[in-house]
Amino acid sequence: MLKFRINDIDVEAEPGWTVLETAREYGIEIPTLCFHEAVQASGACRLCMVELREGDWTKLVASCVYPAKDGLNVYTESERITNVRRWIFEMLLSECPASQEIRDMAAKYGVTSTRFAIKDPEQDCIMCGLCTRVCAEVVGVHAIATQSRGVYKRIGSPFMKPNEACVACGSCVSVCPTGAMARRIDLVRGKMEENQTNAA
Amino acid sequence: MSTAPKVGVFLCECGDKIKGNVDMGLLAQKVVETPDVAFCKTMPYPCLKPGIAGIKKAIADAGLDRIVIAGCSRRLMMKKFENEMKDSGLDVGQIAMVNLRDHVALVHPGLEPAQRAEKGVKLIRSSVADLAAMVPGLRFQISIEKPVLIMGDGIATYAAAQQFARHGVESIMALSLDDEEEIRLLHERYPGERQNFGRVRNIMKAVEESPLVQRITVGDPIAKNGKTGNYSVSFENPEGGAPIAVEAGLIMACLDGEMESPGPEFGHNGDSVICQSEADEHLWTVGPYKGNVVFWINDVEAGTPEFAHLSMRGAWSLGRAMVERSDKCNVTIFHNQDTPLPLSAEERRISRKLGIQWVAYDGKICPTVQARNLTYLVKDDGLERELPWDQLILSPVRVVGRHAIDVASLLNLDHKEGRFLRAYHAQVRPENVGRKEAILAGSAAYPCDLSQALAQGRRAAIKVAETIDLSKDGKLFSPAIVSVIDLEKCIGCGQCEELCECGAIQVVEGIGGAFGRAVDPLICTGGGTGAAACPEQAMYLQNASTIQREAAAGALAKELAPGEVAAFGCTWGGYAAADNVAKSGLAMDPRLHMIYVPCVGQIDATVMAKALLDGANGVILFGCVPEECHHSYGVDHGWSRVNMLKKLLALAGFDRKRIALAHADFNNPEGFVKTVEGYTEIIAGMEPIERSPQNLEKLHAIYDTTKNSRVRLLLSAALRRPWESVYRGAQRHALEYDQEFAGVLAEEFAQTRLTRALKAQGEPQTIKDLAVHLDADKDYIAEMLMEMASEGKVNMIHKQRKAHFMV
Repeated sequence: MLKFRINDIDVEAEPGWTVLETAREYGIEIPTLCFHEAVQASGACRLCMVELREGDWTKLVASCVYPAKDGLNVYTESERITNVRRWIFEMLLSECPASQEIRDMAAKYGVTSTRFAIKDPEQDCIMCGLCTRVCAEVVGVHAIATQSRGVYKRIGSPFMKPNEACVACGSCVSVCPTGAMARRIDLVRGKMEENQTNAA
Repeated sequence: MSTAPKVGVFLCECGDKIKGNVDMGLLAQKVVETPDVAFCKTMPYPCLKPGIAGIKKAIADAGLDRIVIAGCSRRLMMKKFENEMKDSGLDVGQIAMVNLRDHVALVHPGLEPAQRAEKGVKLIRSSVADLAAMVPGLRFQISIEKPVLIMGDGIATYAAAQQFARHGVESIMALSLDDEEEIRLLHERYPGERQNFGRVRNIMKAVEESPLVQRITVGDPIAKNGKTGNYSVSFENPEGGAPIAVEAGLIMACLDGEMESPGPEFGHNGDSVICQSEADEHLWTVGPYKGNVVFWINDVEAGTPEFAHLSMRGAWSLGRAMVERSDKCNVTIFHNQDTPLPLSAEERRISRKLGIQWVAYDGKICPTVQARNLTYLVKDDGLERELPWDQLILSPVRVVGRHAIDVASLLNLDHKEGRFLRAYHAQVRPENVGRKEAILAGSAAYPCDLSQALAQGRRAAIKVAETIDLSKDGKLFSPAIVSVIDLEKCIGCGQCEELCECGAIQVVEGIGGAFGRAVDPLICTGGGTGAAACPEQAMYLQNASTIQREAAAGALAKELAPGEVAAFGCTWGGYAAADNVAKSGLAMDPRLHMIYVPCVGQIDATVMAKALLDGANGVILFGCVPEECHHSYGVDHGWSRVNMLKKLLALAGFDRKRIALAHADFNNPEGFVKTVEGYTEIIAGMEPIERSPQNLEKLHAIYDTTKNSRVRLLLSAALRRPWESVYRGAQRHALEYDQEFAGVLAEEFAQTRLTRALKAQGEPQTIKDLAVHLDADKDYIAEMLMEMASEGKVNMIHKQRKAHFMV
């Protein structure tokens, strides 16, 4: 049993649990976007950042992937953390300004506008990769993946064409934190009959 | 099973999402009061590591043998729970999930937390009843010790056999041709591949030298018997005499597609206008043509643009061979501008050097074949041009030959008219498919070139070899949820064999001859199509049986208030759409209570009748959008059964609208919410069924009629088959069938009621007594009774000169 503190509350965890899992077990909520219980955590969105304090030193870590350890001193709602989350929301607002879900979440932290340049006002996907992880890990097919790299990265099926591998289960739509997948799924699943004749 | 089931229920708080909206205390209290619930615990997050550890501990401490997790979407979470609970001794089927968050907590803004808890309890009780009714069936271990049989005469046979030899797996090639004949046929099946024949010969040689490969010469296949691990296939004997029988552990089919000449609309005359396979033969038997040879890649015009690249490759290699062999030959390849050139940079260089012309035409106007000229248009140019030809070579028409179809149907491979062969029709998750390897290779599966056909043979062989390795290590097991046939009850009607979309029903020799009466558990996808359709209810889906569904429907129906509706949602359509309602920020009518089913086609009519019998005033099935069923035609099967129930309701004097079928798309929650509202309004607008003894008698009779084998056989016989491409309502004689069926239903319903009444009374009854008792027409009753007496279903005796009847 590992013993440490979250928000000055003593908590216990088994080896292998993460800080986020331990916090949730104790009813302490940490906001997340790219985390889903069904798949491995990836630490992509950084919204679940928490502060670790050790004497005068502090550091920020992503709680969804940070393993619980003896003697940790975790703060989930400190000033520094709130500030970081506001920054993240500003970045998210510039990345995917079209997502109502992101705007709602940001508004809860008082963030309603962004000082970063908006590249694409239509963009609603935050590239967290939750849909691709669900497709691979839960469904067991690889119908969608991230395409291209860096700023050109996007989510889709190979060649952005309806895909034979897709079983049209809708798991990606259900996990998508921004609702972006609901608008993209028809590019992936297509029509079954067409899928079958297109299959090589 | 002698020990009583011990069901554990785990209630998820999901942070604040469920806890904040549902009265968890009340929920837990009511769940504990449910029969068969041995343990109940509320947890913040059962799905995270701390929660899973807690569930495992409870399973060990309380000795639970099945669990319900009331949390969120089973589509997303079930796999994780199944994987995690494996080492706690719970297999697939022993875990159920109720979507408390998306079907209750977040979608009913008009309800109080306590009311939401009440609804949650109903759903959980239904799920508990389902699990409690389960008789756990074990996974079957499958051993494959016999060699692999490769049949079908396809060229991939050799590649597969070579691959098996490399893996140390024994194989038998059952061929009707010798090697030279196979090679001679290649020009017909893979034109323009002459340069690869050396490779094929090398493979043939390697196969011949291998001690692991046995070769037999056979005629057409006659029959296949048995299932994975133990097949026996008989072939005609090419020399006459007794058929050749082959024993095999697994069967693989290598089938080549065939080429037909295009029709006269492209000018085909077999002489100056020919197709590629004819050109190939001419080139190697007579020699290259002289003059202007034009290859017209007419696949786009023939309606098969997807094969244009294959035809182009064929034209390129034929054209190249012609030019290299003769300087009196000018080759032009004439193709639609939308078809990209399938040449590598090096090939382009060779093409330029050899002077092969590539002419792209605009497909807006179909080129016209004229004597010695082709008329065509070029893009962005209105001028009609002419291309002179002395020999015109068209693309072949690719088809699946009769022989390939025969072999495919013998092996239960799906085949639809006008389509290529596909091993699996079902569009389901990989874990639903027991045997994952493709057992089919070659261009009959889908047109491909020679090297792809050989590669397919090798790939299929690798996967088959992996399965055999698993079996050698004793690790090859069937999935937990598969259909099983009770041979005591099976009458061999063959309905399941015809309806099964995955080809899992295998013909087995036994009493009464050889007919489909065994399920190959490695092929069965657990869709439950056959089980729901079995006229004798001899087939059941183990760990997800109709008895379980009935228990779930009954338990839910008992709890429902008069205006509430029982629903069944399929994992791909209805249930998924309901999962997404909360996500879209919508509200759902709280009167709908949805039970999860993998496919609507899995719901037996008895289940629907059971729900009505046990207290539901309205039952609705939510399947996929028409023609998008993920199994074969589950929605259509649901449609047929719902319509039968409607007829029965009408016969009993109830409103037909008490049962309905609806379609839902997971990505259209708005539409789903509207459908739900529409139906709940209809039910709320009706008076509830008065549960009087008379009405209960009728509902019981409806339930019994759904179990009647004559009714079930007629229903099954009309269900849409996997190969049928026409929707049932659009079939010939649909009305005629329906009228006949309605007549039979009326008859069987009346007879069921009479039998029930006679059983209940215990002593002989007169016609008049029965007519009064059942509130029915006396003459009709008399007619029915006389018929039943003649069939020996009732006994007729005379007392005081009056006919009395008894069971």
